[in-house]
Amino acid sequence: MSNFIFQALNGLSSAMFLWLVAAGLTVAFGVCGILNVAHGSLYMMGAYFAFTSFQILGLNFWLSLVFALIGAGIIGFLMERFFLRRIYDQPIEFQLILTFAFILVFDNLTKMIWGTMLIIPTMPSLFQGTIPIVGRPFPIYNLFIIFAGIAVALIIWVILNKTWWGMKLRAAASQREMANAIGINIPMLFTAAFVFAALLAAIGGALSTPIRVCDSGVGGAVIIQAFVVTVIGGLGSLKGAFVGALIIGVIGALCTLYVPFIELFVLYLIMAVVLIIRPQGLFGGER
Amino acid sequence: MTGLKDTLALSIKRHRSQLCWLGAFIIFLFILPLFSGDYILYMVMRMAILCLLSYSVNLLLGNTGLLSFGQAGFYACGAYACGKVLLAGTSLLPGIIIGVAVAAIVAIILAFFCVRHTAIYFAMITLAFGMMIFSLAEKWVKFTGGDDGLIGIPRASLNFFYIFNIKMNTIPAYYYFVIVATLIAIYFIYRILHSPLGLIFQGIRDSETRVSFVGISVRKSRLICFTIAGIYAGLGGALFAPLEQTITPSTSHWITSTDPIIATLLGGMYSFSGPIVGSVVYFLLKDIIVRLTMNWMLILGTIIIILVLAFRGGVMGAFHAYISPRLK
Amino acid sequence: MKKMTGILGIALFLVFILTPAVNAAELPKVIKIGGQGVTSGSKADYGHQMIMGAQMAVEEINNSGGILGSKVEMKFMDSEIKAAVATKNARYLVKDWGAHFLFGIDSSGVSMALAPIMPELDRILIICHGATHKVNEEAIFKKGLRNTFRISVPTYQDGTLPAMIFKDRPEIKRIASLAAAYSYGYSAWEMFEKTLKKYRPDVEVVGKAEAPFLHMDFTPQLNALMAAKPDLILATPWGGEGLMMLRQAILLGLFEQPWFKVWFQCMGGSIDMAEGLTPDVKAGKFHGKLWATARYLWNWPDTPRNKAFVAKFREKFGRFPNYSAANVHTAIYAFKKAVEQTKSLDTQKLIKALEGMKVQAPDGERWIRPEDHQACYTVPAGHYVYDRAVCPNAYLSDLVVIPWEKYYRNPPDYKLP
Repeated sequence: MSNFIFQALNGLSSAMFLWLVAAGLTVAFGVCGILNVAHGSLYMMGAYFAFTSFQILGLNFWLSLVFALIGAGIIGFLMERFFLRRIYDQPIEFQLILTFAFILVFDNLTKMIWGTMLIIPTMPSLFQGTIPIVGRPFPIYNLFIIFAGIAVALIIWVILNKTWWGMKLRAAASQREMANAIGINIPMLFTAAFVFAALLAAIGGALSTPIRVCDSGVGGAVIIQAFVVTVIGGLGSLKGAFVGALIIGVIGALCTLYVPFIELFVLYLIMAVVLIIRPQGLFGGER
Repeated sequence: MTGLKDTLALSIKRHRSQLCWLGAFIIFLFILPLFSGDYILYMVMRMAILCLLSYSVNLLLGNTGLLSFGQAGFYACGAYACGKVLLAGTSLLPGIIIGVAVAAIVAIILAFFCVRHTAIYFAMITLAFGMMIFSLAEKWVKFTGGDDGLIGIPRASLNFFYIFNIKMNTIPAYYYFVIVATLIAIYFIYRILHSPLGLIFQGIRDSETRVSFVGISVRKSRLICFTIAGIYAGLGGALFAPLEQTITPSTSHWITSTDPIIATLLGGMYSFSGPIVGSVVYFLLKDIIVRLTMNWMLILGTIIIILVLAFRGGVMGAFHAYISPRLK
Repeated sequence: MKKMTGILGIALFLVFILTPAVNAAELPKVIKIGGQGVTSGSKADYGHQMIMGAQMAVEEINNSGGILGSKVEMKFMDSEIKAAVATKNARYLVKDWGAHFLFGIDSSGVSMALAPIMPELDRILIICHGATHKVNEEAIFKKGLRNTFRISVPTYQDGTLPAMIFKDRPEIKRIASLAAAYSYGYSAWEMFEKTLKKYRPDVEVVGKAEAPFLHMDFTPQLNALMAAKPDLILATPWGGEGLMMLRQAILLGLFEQPWFKVWFQCMGGSIDMAEGLTPDVKAGKFHGKLWATARYLWNWPDTPRNKAFVAKFREKFGRFPNYSAANVHTAIYAFKKAVEQTKSLDTQKLIKALEGMKVQAPDGERWIRPEDHQACYTVPAGHYVYDRAVCPNAYLSDLVVIPWEKYYRNPPDYKLP
């Protein structure tokens, strides 16, 4: 039993990475209506920026986080302003292929800039060590990740529900024409929403650097899991993304413990079953 | 009977130049082995297989407006089934036929789950099924050979009840087989798309409601469309297995599904010849870029971005819009 | 009649005299060699190291007069670790670009896909990294696909060698596997388990976990294993995956547990991992429990030849040579030697020449076994240490050298040693 609890707790910490990526994916889809396959690449850029400032520029952990956010924010802004904006009204296939092309470009650019050497910065001393949970050592960093994930969820909730900007965002997401009519600057709002999504990805990427290697193939590996999460939770639903991430993270970890052989199959099976029974996802609204 | 003859004559007259081009193209394909090396033939075969896969994608995308991210799954079904049969020591034809049949059966089964969905949900459920096939291919080691895949698939000779027996071990021999099979398949798809069924498909793309008002079952038509698409992907896979003589799980990965999608968009999804042109252009493009630079992803990515932003109709779309009118 | 015989005799004589000359003239001005390996995605460093090794070999050969006077030209392509891409590359390199020889190849799957098409392409392929024993045991030995050779160690290195080392450590009783979830990981573990159990029936397998390709979060796997308290974990995920797995193991406090004795990271001796592990090794995070081997180690043997190779490589590229670089370098020299022996580019003759050849690698002599075309040579294993005076990176030390004869499987029965 303690084994089960411990493993579930571990699943929770990996779920938080999924959540941070899926949250950004959801914001971009919910507001701008774009399914950004290159969202994983923004996560990757966040990781590379964090690494650069932490290991190469020697900044501390928190400043590196900020640096990563600024860097990824700028990339997100450029992407939206010059490319994605032109295809909002296009069919889904063009969006998917355009953003898929961005994965190729980002992968190659990072390889050219950072080289092919494996990148993993040292763990900040603040987070070194473990604390005992159910009699087993649990990494402090993983605990920090769980709190960080929940904190980000709370911040998003406050922004969307308690701030003027959040209300405008929700208005634009549900009734684009109406929001436009009452004088909301839709293009600017969309840019802001996409940058916000990029920031969420960058937090995930930056937080991952001490425990995950950053390399030029991360973007593609991350995004497919995020798809599974958002589809299960419901496309465009942040609550769904959070719950979906928890489901996938915890079930994935438990599968590793009990049925390692079919882990991947189980994840896609869950995705397919949810789509068959409830195509809009667990928390999705009307299609 | 005379009516049919007249229409035929009329259509031949109307499309004379196109038919000439088509005839020239087919003759070119058939005499190609006389003056080109094995690598060119190999490339043309890979193009032909990608072309079948692209038709599979475009049947859904260009005609019913559904984007599938799981066609690689059917492709792999065809390839694995064909490989298994050929490894058992049969001749070529049973392998191909069973490959196609298996892909068709899997497509029919999955079609029931998939056709209720549209747009992004369709893309996602096909992605899920495709990846389920991928994880099966990777983990069902006893049947699929796991990560190593099926190895040493023989390129069995083509024989038919002792009537003829053609050896396929050389590249040119297999080239003719692939080309003939592909041309026949393309002819069939042309007939399907220009039949009442094809019109229904296009009707669904433009407006589902209108089609259902006429009293046609949208669901049933989609089911048929999905199955035909699965068959085409399966045929591509079945032809691929004896060519490469090895099938690995990566054939069923979603990344493989993006190739025909890019090829289709490149060629132009609303034009019948789009997938052919797209496959040829995409393959040549990648082949040339890979030769010139290690940074092929950067260049290919940039080309796709330009294409999506500037030439949404693809090569054929641009041809019809800019070049074709000037020719007249 | 006599006249005829005379003419025939003269003709035969002329043929006899002229043959070597004709053969030498057969060699083209430029000998083309085509390589491929993964140069994109998360394993890209292995391919880039191959390019470095190949560049170095080609430059050396061309500066010293080429192969029998012919210049060597090299082209390297990205295999993307995909069988379909690799076969297309191979066909392009041979049929279109005109390669006389192929080398490289990163994964087991790709090696297995290329071996069957090499007879059709009528060229020699020397595998420099892909390690599955199925290539030499099944494809080459049983199926007779004799155009393929391998200059690097097979999975015997990953599985049997650690078993031979740890069978002599009686305190290791409980073993566990963290396998890369594909044939390389499975067969390495199978060899390890079988060999160890043969010598030590008291050893018990207490845990098994696996991680698919491109996995990122190993904590669930590590936890599952830690619950069983093993003395030794044998891990096969390589490159970046291996690196993050070790970092996560440190975080979980695995290396601080008193019951835990050895982590054997099969290909942990590769340079990309050594570079990545350096900060943690420096900080003593592994408590000397991290063991590894590789398919060539820059610091073994301590011969002038190896030192010269490493020094030259470092001077040229600013990094230490990984095994993929050293093996590509050796493969090109093996090809050179075969061409020089046969004075021809005829594939069948080259195969004959390579079978049983002894080729000089940076780390000493490698014998290419004629039966299964497997290069036989010894690579030791050791545990990670850090010493700035020796190397800016962490490196393997206290190397345990077991001669290859003791841990290679042998044709025709391929039983465990």
